Amino acid sequence: MKKILILLRAHLTVFAADRVAVLLTFVIPVIMISLFGAIFGGSGRSQSSGIPLAFLNLSDAPVSRSIEGILDTLRTFRLIRTMKDENGKQVVFDTSSIQEFVKSGDAPAALVIPADAYTDTSIGFKICFYYDPRNEIEMQIVQGMLQKTIMEQIPQVFMESLNRRAKKALGPELSTAFNADIRKSVRQYFPGTTFDADTVRDGTGGMKPGDTSALAGADSSSVANGMGKMFREIVDFRSTQLVGAEIANPNATRSVGGWAMMFLLFTLSGVANALIDERRNAVFMRMLAAPFSRAHILASRYVFGTVLGTIQLVVMFIMGMLLFNVDILSNAGNLLLVIILSAAAATGFGMLIAAFSRTMAQASALGMLLILAMSAVGGAWFPTSIMPPYIQVLSKFSLVYWSISGFLSVLWAGATFVEILPILGVLTGIAAVVIGVSLWKFSRTNIL
Amino acid sequence: MISLTNVTKRYAAITALDDVSLEVSRGELYGLLGPNGAGKTTLMSLLVGHKHPDAGTITIGGVPMTSRNLDLRGEIGYVPQQIALYDELNAQENLSIFGSYYSLSGSLLRARIDEALEAVQLGDRRKDKVKAYSGGMKRRLNLAAALLHHPKVLLCDEPTVGVDPQSRNAIFDFLESLNAAGMTVVYTTHYMEEVERLCSRIGIIDHGRMIAEGTLNELLRLLPYEETISMRRNDATEANRSAFERFGVIREVNDAFELRPGKNVKMSDVIAAVEDWGIEYADIEWRKPTLEAVFLYKTGRSMRD
Ligand SMILES: Nc1ncnc2c1ncn2[C@@H]1O[C@H](COP(=O)(O)OP(=O)(O)OP(=O)(O)O)[C@@H](O)[C@H]1O
Ligand SMILES: [Mg+2]
Repeated sequence: MKKILILLRAHLTVFAADRVAVLLTFVIPVIMISLFGAIFGGSGRSQSSGIPLAFLNLSDAPVSRSIEGILDTLRTFRLIRTMKDENGKQVVFDTSSIQEFVKSGDAPAALVIPADAYTDTSIGFKICFYYDPRNEIEMQIVQGMLQKTIMEQIPQVFMESLNRRAKKALGPELSTAFNADIRKSVRQYFPGTTFDADTVRDGTGGMKPGDTSALAGADSSSVANGMGKMFREIVDFRSTQLVGAEIANPNATRSVGGWAMMFLLFTLSGVANALIDERRNAVFMRMLAAPFSRAHILASRYVFGTVLGTIQLVVMFIMGMLLFNVDILSNAGNLLLVIILSAAAATGFGMLIAAFSRTMAQASALGMLLILAMSAVGGAWFPTSIMPPYIQVLSKFSLVYWSISGFLSVLWAGATFVEILPILGVLTGIAAVVIGVSLWKFSRTNIL
Repeated sequence: MISLTNVTKRYAAITALDDVSLEVSRGELYGLLGPNGAGKTTLMSLLVGHKHPDAGTITIGGVPMTSRNLDLRGEIGYVPQQIALYDELNAQENLSIFGSYYSLSGSLLRARIDEALEAVQLGDRRKDKVKAYSGGMKRRLNLAAALLHHPKVLLCDEPTVGVDPQSRNAIFDFLESLNAAGMTVVYTTHYMEEVERLCSRIGIIDHGRMIAEGTLNELLRLLPYEETISMRRNDATEANRSAFERFGVIREVNDAFELRPGKNVKMSDVIAAVEDWGIEYADIEWRKPTLEAVFLYKTGRSMRD
């Protein structure tokens, strides 16, 4: 133990002498989290300029105008209503020019509310959405947000139209009686249910998804499907919100774990490089000639990497708190545990890479593979819940998955020590296995 | 103190050490002389425990050198052939790291650092970063770093490459004083002059084989002649060239004849002949044989080839 401390102190002295490296150790996490935050809109303060959306409203129905008004106030979108014609004059879109506008790549998508979007006889609301599937992923986000916005704004439109239809079909008296009966039976089966005013809080039955079509021939039925799913997702979304309702910045809090792990994985290849560099360095021969065993040397490097990784993660979370209101203090002890064990496991992977590579180039290639695979599969980029089932099984083998789970449990759900114990156990297990394999490899190859 | 018995070490196809046996007694200053690639560094790395022999045994102080024997390493000082220092640290910081490897700390460590820096005449540069040192200064610090823990055995692998004669002499004096104080030293080099000046016993190694071993005199006695008489080529020496052949072997070297008198030739006869044939003393040089000659005699090659 004392020998490991001696070596650890030597590593620290040498590291501290490299002022630039020390500075980078602290500056890089700060830069990284600011960057991630800015990109993913985790910042509660800064505003994005909005996604440009070509917009044309041909309907004069009050609902259409209110939707237009709402879209105008949303920061998510920036509505474009005019384009330059060949003479350089700004002209208002028409139904064909707005499609050309998207085709030529001037806006990723266009939204048209046709003249017959909403009439007295229609049940639903009709809109046309044009997009360039070149930006498939962006489009899914845009559509999702559009649908959410519209759906959130117009339930009363459906109710209104349903009521109107009912009135038309049943006549005013029967229709009132029908509503009263429905209320009565709902109360009978769901005692305690209350109704505000006279509006029937109904589901989505009869909803017409509107008319969406892709310019480049994308399958519009999937969009329609998505629309149907949308309402369910809104409901879902709300129920999610209930869990983290008191969280200051849900976006950042949800993503900070993923960012942190991505970052940590990159420092892991730093650990690998340090080990490889060291064993090519002549100073290493002195270390080997001194009364240290191979285990002492590896252990000291390992502890050093873990300490450095922990410091970097802590810096990153502190910046997350300062910049994005991520609350790290109310569960700080447990957070620190997850941080330390994640750093320890990541450092283990660094040693694994060092054990299996002879040169820096090999180490970076191996490191890249490991980082990308573990991040992608482990949910650093996209939540694992949207991945195919077999990938979700693979996720469980990724360090990133477990670290993110740990961070989420601690930050999001405010989990207690006992609750995160299984995750801590898995992280420890991963570290142990990875270190075990590295040691086995180191002892076999004799390169150390 | 150090004992190698039938040690063989291979790297894939290359046999770096081939059945080498060697004894170094306590308090000896042993020189290992050999050209590039002879196997000197390989032998050192076996002694220090970096590598392990494929065959044969190595003991130091009667204790086998194995990777588990950490206490034994505490008794050894190792000066690597490459400069092994932290560039970004100053001399003092370097030495305090290397001293700490041997569990030195506090005032004892400081005293040892002062002593070592003094010995290699770097006391006044102790606060300068190593990267600002000249090559020779780095060499000297490289040596000092191995001495902090006062090892019983010091292994120096070509410690004077690139060191100026003055500093080299300072290093030699220092090694001699350490040796006089009882330290066993193994010193590798490809400079014959160094082992001739410094070492009480010498091993000559080539292509992984120990080709000769002994004191300087023992090695020189391996030669079939005791000295070389070199005569500048001129009319007088040209004329009598064949007459000299009765004293021994004549070789032509550039603008001179070299005569190596046979074992039974009396030097007084040679001198008398030189006087008789009117050869100027200024054109004649009497040379004692060197280890270079031993190497040439044993291998048929010059050390510098
Ligand atoms: N790690 C290695 N892998 C393969 N071959 C090696 C290795 N180290 C040394 N050799 C080979 O072993 C032989 C002896 O090398 P060694 O370094 O011991 O020579 P040396 O006497 O120290 O030479 P020099 O005076 O140049 O330092 C050489 O042929 C060399 O190429
Ligand atoms: Mg060598």
